[in-house]
Amino acid sequence: MCALRLGIDVGGTFTDLVLYDERRNKLIIRKISTTPSNPEVAVLSLIDEVLKEYSPNEVKLILHATTLATNALLGQKGLELPKGALITTKGFRDILEIGRQRRPALYDLFVRRPKPLIPRRLRFGVEERVDAKGNVIVPLNEEELRDICHKMRKEGVKAIAICFLNSYVNPVHELKAKEVVEKEVPNAWISLSCEVDPEHGEYERTSTTVVNALLMPLVAGYIRRLEEGLSRRRVRPRLLLMKSSGGAASAENIVKRPIDLIESGPAAGVSATAFLSKVLGIRRAISFDMGGTTAKAGVVIDYRPRMRYELGIGRIHRGEEGEGFECIVRSAVVDLAECSAGGGSIAWVDEDCVLRVGPISAGAEPGPACYGKGGKEPTVTDANLVLGRLPAKLLAGDMTLYPQLARKAIEGRICKIMEIPLIEAAKGVLRIANYEMANIIRLTTTERGLDPREFTLIAYGGAGPLHATDIAEELGINKVIIPRNPGNFSAYGLIVTDVRYDYVKTLLVKLEELDPGRLEREYQELEERALKELSKDVIAEDEIVTVRYAGMRYYGQSYEIVIPVPLTINTTSDIMALSEEFLREYGRMYMQAYQGRAIELVDIRVSAFALSKKVLPKLPSRTSDIKVSRRDVYFIGHGLQEETPIYRRDDLAPGFELEGPAIVEEYGATLVVNPGWNLRVDEYGNIILER
Amino acid sequence: MNVNPITYQVIRGGLINACREAGIVLRNSAFSPNIKERMDHSTAILSPKLELVAQAEHIPVHLGSISWGVRNTMALMENVKEGDMIIVNDPYIAGTHLPDILLIRPVFYEGKLIAFVANRAHHADVGGMAPGSMPGDASEIYHEGIIIPPVKIMEGDEVNGDILKLILANVRTPEERLGDIKAQISANRVLEKRVLELAGKYGDDTLMETMNLMLKHSERRMRRRISRISPGLYEGEDYIEGRKGNLLIKVAIRVEGDELFIDFSGTSKQVEEPINAVMGVTLACVLYILKAIADPSGAANDGYLRAAHVKAPKGTIVNAKPPAPVSGGNVETAQRIVDVLLRALADALPGIIPAASQGTMNNVSVGGYDEDGRGWTFYETIGGGMGARPGLDGIDCVHVHMTNTMNTPIEVLERYYPIRFLKYELRPDSGGAGKWRGGCGIERAWVFLGSTGTLSVMGNRVRTKPWGLRGGRPGASAEYLVVRRNGQVVRLGPMATIRLMKGDVVILRTPGGGGYGNPLERDVNRIIEDYLEGKVTKRIVAEIYGIGELEKRLKP
Repeated sequence: MCALRLGIDVGGTFTDLVLYDERRNKLIIRKISTTPSNPEVAVLSLIDEVLKEYSPNEVKLILHATTLATNALLGQKGLELPKGALITTKGFRDILEIGRQRRPALYDLFVRRPKPLIPRRLRFGVEERVDAKGNVIVPLNEEELRDICHKMRKEGVKAIAICFLNSYVNPVHELKAKEVVEKEVPNAWISLSCEVDPEHGEYERTSTTVVNALLMPLVAGYIRRLEEGLSRRRVRPRLLLMKSSGGAASAENIVKRPIDLIESGPAAGVSATAFLSKVLGIRRAISFDMGGTTAKAGVVIDYRPRMRYELGIGRIHRGEEGEGFECIVRSAVVDLAECSAGGGSIAWVDEDCVLRVGPISAGAEPGPACYGKGGKEPTVTDANLVLGRLPAKLLAGDMTLYPQLARKAIEGRICKIMEIPLIEAAKGVLRIANYEMANIIRLTTTERGLDPREFTLIAYGGAGPLHATDIAEELGINKVIIPRNPGNFSAYGLIVTDVRYDYVKTLLVKLEELDPGRLEREYQELEERALKELSKDVIAEDEIVTVRYAGMRYYGQSYEIVIPVPLTINTTSDIMALSEEFLREYGRMYMQAYQGRAIELVDIRVSAFALSKKVLPKLPSRTSDIKVSRRDVYFIGHGLQEETPIYRRDDLAPGFELEGPAIVEEYGATLVVNPGWNLRVDEYGNIILER
Repeated sequence: MNVNPITYQVIRGGLINACREAGIVLRNSAFSPNIKERMDHSTAILSPKLELVAQAEHIPVHLGSISWGVRNTMALMENVKEGDMIIVNDPYIAGTHLPDILLIRPVFYEGKLIAFVANRAHHADVGGMAPGSMPGDASEIYHEGIIIPPVKIMEGDEVNGDILKLILANVRTPEERLGDIKAQISANRVLEKRVLELAGKYGDDTLMETMNLMLKHSERRMRRRISRISPGLYEGEDYIEGRKGNLLIKVAIRVEGDELFIDFSGTSKQVEEPINAVMGVTLACVLYILKAIADPSGAANDGYLRAAHVKAPKGTIVNAKPPAPVSGGNVETAQRIVDVLLRALADALPGIIPAASQGTMNNVSVGGYDEDGRGWTFYETIGGGMGARPGLDGIDCVHVHMTNTMNTPIEVLERYYPIRFLKYELRPDSGGAGKWRGGCGIERAWVFLGSTGTLSVMGNRVRTKPWGLRGGRPGASAEYLVVRRNGQVVRLGPMATIRLMKGDVVILRTPGGGGYGNPLERDVNRIIEDYLEGKVTKRIVAEIYGIGELEKRLKP
């Protein structure tokens, strides 16, 4: 009997299921509305769907992405954060509230700062002090701590963060405090900064630890309800959750580090891109996801997503201003840039008569004007429809679009004010949206010293294929790939993801003073820790791989560059090689380097993967009738193409080729092939576009 | 020439993004905590006619003064060619104070000058009497550090090593300075690269015409805003504290049609103290206020200034002449110029203008030498209370108006400098009471662990208080103290330089913001919330807000 792999992606609007049945080499896709305050309800009804066809013990593995953590931080109703408390070094309880002492907007006299995650009355300072070298200067006052515990108990605190100054050097007091608090407040969740984020920078570490503590009860409760629900259905799979890093972790580990869930959903798409790029042998790929309200771009080099290690959670999110919190979380995250340009983004004219797109989105309700659900504002989708780039029927005829409503919205809200004709206005909307989207790709490439022209654009999401060739032209990219089922590509990313654990250790040592033996030992220690953790989550057929990185900078700087490190370090020449690699990278990013300036190794990083067996099913080649219809379509930068051929993707078998201009329609997505592009379908059913 | 409105939008976004990106490059490749941790730097793009076109959201006082500085500099330079970069810090030319070093690069496209790019960064030391180069007891600019006139730091894309050597020989921390200057060079090159990309893609004519339009749009917005103000004369005055006494800053704003006439006549004559501001600073303050009232979220550029005529008599503290010392001008006097402008506009724009904010940047410079004789210095500024707004409390513990730098992480300071922190907390009761409460200040305290060192505190609102509006109470004054090991308490004035000995404790309490409206009208729930949060004590609740029996109110 073969195992089923289930990927379940809980998004803002829909909960998606992708099931891979190895025996029949079959992918099954399902969609259901998300149940925001109890996300497990939708997840479990999808499982019920699966159980109509399969027996419970065939479900061996569930990979799950969830927006639970993010939504809770953004203040979603029904997902209220628990009552939390913070214990700090005495005299420093306001670090969380002061933050970096900046105001969020420079010139706005009415600027607001979001309220801190924990109110001042639940932030407690306790007598203790460790200096910057790790020496204990003032011992921990346990009696005072017990008094604090008493107050927390009285207040009914459910989550407690502990963050002391310099604990990243010596965590002794945090560990001791945990023992006391555990005993005194037995039912609270406790999060220690030395465990969650053992790096310097007291505000960021405090913020990260607080977010972690507050998410713990929420995520633990969710996972418990989910597991109970599965168990009632006699489904007992290995449950893995997608982390922001693009790797998965066991539910047991996620409960300890829920901060790793914050970018869970978007990471799934990048993970899918990484897998697809590996199958196709594409060493440099841009992951581009455009949905209804936002577009996101990430970079995959040598089949691994580029990462960053700090994440800001803001009030402006998904095109709407939320009532949530603003905070910094340090955790391994796929490096994504995001903009509010999606199909539903509203186009408007500002008081200088300048056309703008977003950040406000028409969302699913009322949606773009052409949905006929009462939306009056013109959106990106309306512009696409007016230009003939979208058909009047979507989702295999389940949904009708009304071009006259789109025209009316654009004419009323744009043409009249700017005194420009309809087609020019619609093209303008797309050009601006394309510019915004090209810009987020620039943020993740040119700003990192990478040349987008050397990359292949992998475009997905409901609206990605509509804009892919335009954006590629804007950036000078010559190759674009549209995967199969682009609307479900993120969920697909779940079933091809690997278990992944990341470990960091701060060293802060000059390269010239670094003993290669010591460096090797430090790496090995991290690797041992990683493998130990991993061993709990792997199954026999998984292949274990570890990768090393190092954060390096010139001595005296604050921002390090993370570079890959070979798997063994024996000699000083290995260290020399590190320094050369650093200089190359530095020169590329800052267009100059120093001679003879000391280089500092800030930290070492190990990522450990349990690579699962996974496949990309091939698309059977078949000969079927190819139905072609025709309509007039406006292309951006190429003008009107009369009688543009319109294809149905389901008709296109491997080996099929065509030359643009053309439109390819499928369930949930429409592809615009600009003139000058050649299209072919590969053996897996991916569409490859080249020019 | 007509620019397609969409192309306009794309180029405009490209210019602003370039400034943002260059700011990050500068931060990430810098060496001093003041730049790499606090982001005390700014980047900008100017038109070939030397008007500020685009900037990132960095520091208002840097940016508002940048075009004044670049214009003065270029007027003094001859034979500027492709591949040149100019360095200058002379405040009477560059526009702020000596620690701010300005780097300017002309951008040529196919041999034609199409733009200037520039960035300014605050260096932690440029020599002079005291580490940090902001000595409170300076009486002439020569006390404040090395003066760099406009010279070419780069010619034909080659760095001029002699000039660098000359600069580095005059500062306490040459290694760090070199690194920061190089970071500034990188930032300008990124700006240049992006401007050239835009010119290459859309044509240099389109690019330059877009710049013109950006300025025109800002001007139009400003004029529209001004024409909504009732015509008339609006006046304001307030004091900036000098070492020897308070100095008057006065402004009269005449609103006429869609133009503003801003006149600082009647302001105190310049003094032999580092509190004088150069004209570039005063212009920066005006630009800040104009943008704040007209278009807070739009791109900041010189277009706003076209609708305003600024008159500041030469030889006063708002338009000083050499050789007056000016290190406090753009950090302290600038904040007061803003207070005065707001005070005047409070009558012109009711419902928009807030009460006075902390009105200082609380500049702290500390330095000394280690056992090997190697110098160390660090510089930082501390946030305080924001003034209450009509309908909104002031923000607690934040930087206001002309600055927005970050704090230095305590763990970074303790790692690199001989100090250990004792406290970093909100200062209760410092926010002015009112229907809307002023923000609370900060208390930051540390003990000095080196053998000897020098501390300069350049602050203000020590003798005066940030004012309230419409019945709101003033915020608390600043308190800067040094507690000697024997328990002796030294109270520092607004501009002080003092020797530190091992074990001395430095306590800095920053001002709160003024309140807005009658405290008796404050919503009781807000008063109770403030009390529970420990931001307002029981005494103030009883005395000023008039809730005597708080305990009863607290019972459900």
